[in-house]
Amino acid sequence: MTTHHYRAQPPEALLVRPLDDLTLLYHRPSGQTHMVVSPVPEILAALQQGAADAATLHARLSREFDLGDPAQAQAEIAAHLAEMAALGVVSRA
Amino acid sequence: MRHSLTLRIGPATFRVGSAWRAPVDDLARLYADYPQERDAIADFTVRLDPTSALRRFFRPSIHITGDHGLADAAPMSLAHGLLAAEMGMNLQMALGWRRHLLLHASSVEKDGRALVMTGESGSGKSTLAAQLGERGWRLMGDEFALLDCVTGALHPFPRLVSLKNKAIDVIASEVSESRMGPLLAATAKGDIRHLVPRADAVARMAQPAMPALLLFPRFGGEAAVRPVGQGEVFMRLTQASTNYVALGEPAFAALSRFVATVPAAAIDFPSGDAGIALVDQLWADLP
Repeated sequence: MTTHHYRAQPPEALLVRPLDDLTLLYHRPSGQTHMVVSPVPEILAALQQGAADAATLHARLSREFDLGDPAQAQAEIAAHLAEMAALGVVSRA
Repeated sequence: MRHSLTLRIGPATFRVGSAWRAPVDDLARLYADYPQERDAIADFTVRLDPTSALRRFFRPSIHITGDHGLADAAPMSLAHGLLAAEMGMNLQMALGWRRHLLLHASSVEKDGRALVMTGESGSGKSTLAAQLGERGWRLMGDEFALLDCVTGALHPFPRLVSLKNKAIDVIASEVSESRMGPLLAATAKGDIRHLVPRADAVARMAQPAMPALLLFPRFGGEAAVRPVGQGEVFMRLTQASTNYVALGEPAFAALSRFVATVPAAAIDFPSGDAGIALVDQLWADLP
């Protein structure tokens, strides 16, 4: 399986507004509003430390969160990253 | 147009033209206390014309040219002409208004703060707002609430209240006949009568208020109050807005701020009195 690297959008491209039960994202280039829940906001925050692939992000996130089985968690992070890239809220590095 | 009227409702100015005198006379009577600005440049034009079907155009200037009922049955043109004019003005706002985030919601004001109520047609939000408007609240609007994307204030749009079916008798029993429009029987939404808002609602229609409470009313069932999460509130308000996408980032900023700062609840109520009691209780509990 190919490992993709992803990077965060420039700060001016994405507005992030946490609500009590989910997080709103406003993607300026598309004008689209997205409603997301964990772990998407956490992945976005972890990408602020620099471009990364799923394995690196897993390492960053596991410092703060108990992610369970590493192989499964890493696969889930990879799937989320692919979906987030499709929406334009992250980019392939 | 042979007969016309230019009137202002809240921040919007409408020019209504009609091939018949009767609908314009009805409007002139019911909107007598609203600013009528003969020479104003109207935001929107509504035309009642008998030559073709009632149509929708996705442009600010909509021609309501009379449906087949209007064209075929002269006696119906009087009653349904008023309904067509009201529908025309609503469509103009829903499709063309850009100065505020438009929410399909009723709103009332007390002590400078606004209560906003949104829900499906038939939820009771319009009747509840009309009843509150007769009980010490200022009616800001029964159909559209206009959220200022910069200040976060809610602006009134106090057009005639559209009362449907059972709500007609409830309200007619407590207001003077002079504030009621003609009975429009057997329309697509059932029987309809229009209510003229109280004089203070019209006189103060340029005064905004900061939103303080959002309710999702539902008529029927035992009286109950249920919490609604902010995510669901946001989603339902974007669905209740006709211009959220068109306004772009200012709408996102205004709506996300509204959702994060205005408490919200869903209420069920079996009767108007029970609904009013719930509203009073929730209002009293606000910080």
